[in-house]
Amino acid sequence: MATPTYDLLASTTLTTSASSVTFSSIDQSYGDLILVTCAKALNTDDSWLAFNGDQSAGVWSRVRMIGDGSTTATASFSAQPVGYVLRDTTEFSVNIAHINDYSATDKHKTVLSRTNTANTDVRAYASRWGNTAAITSIKLDHDGSDYQVGSTFNLYGVAK
Amino acid sequence: MSLMLLGILNSQAAGGGGSAYDLLETTTLTSSASSVTFSGLGAYSDYAHLQIRAVTKGAANNFGNSQIGITFNGDTSGYSRHTLQGDGSSVSSSGTANSNRVDVSDATAESNSSYAGVFGASIVDILDFSNTSKYTTVRALSGSIMQNKAITMNSGAWLDLAAVTSINLEAGNGDFVSGCRFSIFGLKGN
Repeated sequence: MATPTYDLLASTTLTTSASSVTFSSIDQSYGDLILVTCAKALNTDDSWLAFNGDQSAGVWSRVRMIGDGSTTATASFSAQPVGYVLRDTTEFSVNIAHINDYSATDKHKTVLSRTNTANTDVRAYASRWGNTAAITSIKLDHDGSDYQVGSTFNLYGVAK
Repeated sequence: MSLMLLGILNSQAAGGGGSAYDLLETTTLTSSASSVTFSGLGAYSDYAHLQIRAVTKGAANNFGNSQIGITFNGDTSGYSRHTLQGDGSSVSSSGTANSNRVDVSDATAESNSSYAGVFGASIVDILDFSNTSKYTTVRALSGSIMQNKAITMNSGAWLDLAAVTSINLEAGNGDFVSGCRFSIFGLKGN
């Protein structure tokens, strides 16, 4: 028997700039979360995801892969929250992050994400939060600039 | 659910749901298994596409990641596959036009005790799975963060016109351990 699923849990479109966006009290009944953002800032730095307010050193790690039309690159990082990038100050960057088994209490949380900024590059990330706690909140924060008006943030739940 | 901007409660969750993307089956392992099979998929031919979402860990005592091997209808020949991988040191690509499976690379975390809670993740799209005028095409995004880290994109095809009625997911290095989850979804289409 098929079970309808892929439910919008929360959504916002910025009508004023904001330094961060937080989804809290996340429904624990789904299997995976999908976070879809279309955002821009006033610089081209990193944006961060942090779970349950945890940005402490030593519990985050990630690897990324980039193609910019002429070269490829990869790098790995430790002690940094899950990252993605807003690469253009005029064009919106699209990010889709899959947070699997977010409510499990026996697993670290693995995130698969892709970020596209059409006139600069395409990126893919795998990230891990080294904590077995269920994710009850997700904070998005951008280095050195607010998210700009028109940025959208949508959180979906996928059944398991 | 609530959403906060600058620490201020901003909006309430929207309800919703729909029938265009449906959970068909889920298997969560309560003991180790070398493979997981979804069978009887002919019953879902009113869907256009399938998606598998998996969270997996393998029993091999290593610091790395291993693949999930996909075969359709029990057929172990006639596949093509390609991989694009970034591991923090280099970006690499590989592939073959004559394979015994489609790989979802780096989908499964291995089992060194220092990484007890670590599972890999994968999202696999299987397009037009019941269409008998097309080879069945697969694409996947997968990754795992052990001591070795990798993010990988895979594509593949089963060079056969038959409708897919079963999908076998085989562990790449040691059995899948207890707690691994495999969910298969159907997507409606024309």
